[in-house]
Amino acid sequence: MIEVVNLHKSFGDLKVLKGVNTKIEKQEVVCVIGASGSGKSTFLRCLNLLEEPDDGEIYIDGVSLLEHKKDINRLRQKVGMVFQQFNLFPHMTVMENITLAPIKLKGMRKSEAEEKAMELLHKVGLPDKNDQYPNHLSGGQKQRVAIARALAMDPEIMLFDEPTSALDPEMVGEVLNVMKQLANEGMTMVVVTHEMGFAREVGDRIMFMDEGIIFEEGPPEQIFKNPQKERTREFLGKVL
Amino acid sequence: MNSIIKVLSDAIYYNLIREQRYMLFVQGLGISLQLTFYSAIIGTILGLFLALAKLSKIKIFERLATIYVDVIRGTPVVVQLVIIYYAILGSSSLPKIAVASIAFGLNSGAYVCELIRAGIMAVDKGQMEAARSLGFSYSQAMTYIIIPQAVKNILPALVNEFIVLLKETAIAGYIALDDLTRAGNIIRGRTFDAYTPFILVAAIYLYITTILTWMLGKLERRLRESD
Ligand SMILES: Nc1ncnc2c1ncn2[C@@H]1O[C@H](COP(=O)(O)OP(=O)(O)OP(=O)(O)O)[C@@H](O)[C@H]1O
Ligand SMILES: [Mg+2]
Repeated sequence: MIEVVNLHKSFGDLKVLKGVNTKIEKQEVVCVIGASGSGKSTFLRCLNLLEEPDDGEIYIDGVSLLEHKKDINRLRQKVGMVFQQFNLFPHMTVMENITLAPIKLKGMRKSEAEEKAMELLHKVGLPDKNDQYPNHLSGGQKQRVAIARALAMDPEIMLFDEPTSALDPEMVGEVLNVMKQLANEGMTMVVVTHEMGFAREVGDRIMFMDEGIIFEEGPPEQIFKNPQKERTREFLGKVL
Repeated sequence: MNSIIKVLSDAIYYNLIREQRYMLFVQGLGISLQLTFYSAIIGTILGLFLALAKLSKIKIFERLATIYVDVIRGTPVVVQLVIIYYAILGSSSLPKIAVASIAFGLNSGAYVCELIRAGIMAVDKGQMEAARSLGFSYSQAMTYIIIPQAVKNILPALVNEFIVLLKETAIAGYIALDDLTRAGNIIRGRTFDAYTPFILVAAIYLYITTILTWMLGKLERRLRESD
């Protein structure tokens, strides 16, 4: 479903991605781990062209993103993204946050969009928050609304960039549970995370990034129990 | 004691009552307020477009807007007014107040541009990213997400700009527009009293700016509460 070929990205003189290659299958849950500054976010943000790669190719359903930059707004509708800092629209209610994109971009009727939004709010466990403004929500609630907002566009893939890193510890669980449920329903997901428990339990594949490449990848049992490379072992030793 | 009263009553009589001279102040104030109002509208619209041009990724727009803002902010407004009046618009049949409104509007636009730009840049970067990740185009993201939030940052500064503008229009007399300040000048010419007319003029400006400043304070409080 996503194919990444020889992806390169620099910021000035800093080479962040130096040839990333991978394939992500439909319904697969890929967890990306690695040290701070290893390029995890940059990789993720390239997948919906929030960062523009310097070189390489990204195919989504066989369509090259870089050859179809003109259609990027339409292509991005297929790729939902959840940010560490939530990035809810503070001047809109929860309901408006969720319905804005379907109404404006898909031409959905307001009533229809709101009905769908209510379903999504039920799904993320916040059915009574539709009239609230984001500032009145806790961090965990904000992130669950952000997930609902992304899901409202019916994406084929969901990208998560450290979705629980800005949360108080007691709120991490509620967000991870929603993500787990999403994974069980067969959503294709790429999750940058420091939550090794989640990666181990929910991930189909773990991607360890270092030195600007995917340094080692494999199923969770292999990466966590029997990493092949010294750097991977070192990193896991620090975080586990 | 009697002489002080005499001086004051003479001052009032000659500067305000005789030949209904108070009407000059009233009409002058009307002109000043109209001029401020029209310039503010022109300046706000121009400033918005300049700000969007300056933030634009299209290099030529960005360059042109930057040059415009630098030229306007780097030259005195009196000079701009006179140049626009004599060189550009003086030969047309436009009324003077329109010429002056355009001149002050063109000037104010450069300052408003910077206010709007600062207000837009103060909106968290994540807002644009979240909007783009949902599939909104840059201009849709601006329209639905960024500008509505920036307005809160911009409004107070904009009202402040209008207060400055009201005071700046006091130079409209340079192109013989009978604004409030010029009304003071005309009366001075008739009464040979240099103080009274301008003290009255100053008091009227102060009165208006005080009202505007008070409204600005209320606006700021309202905006703070809505956060
Ligand atoms: N827009 C940018 N401009 C310049 N440098 C950047 C930019 N974005 C990222 N970088 C740099 O690129 C490197 C990789 O950043 P990236 O955010 O991808 O790391 P990360 O693996 O996500 O780290 P973290 O775990 O801290 O989020 C870092 O050194 C960072 O400072
Ligand atoms: Mg990161």
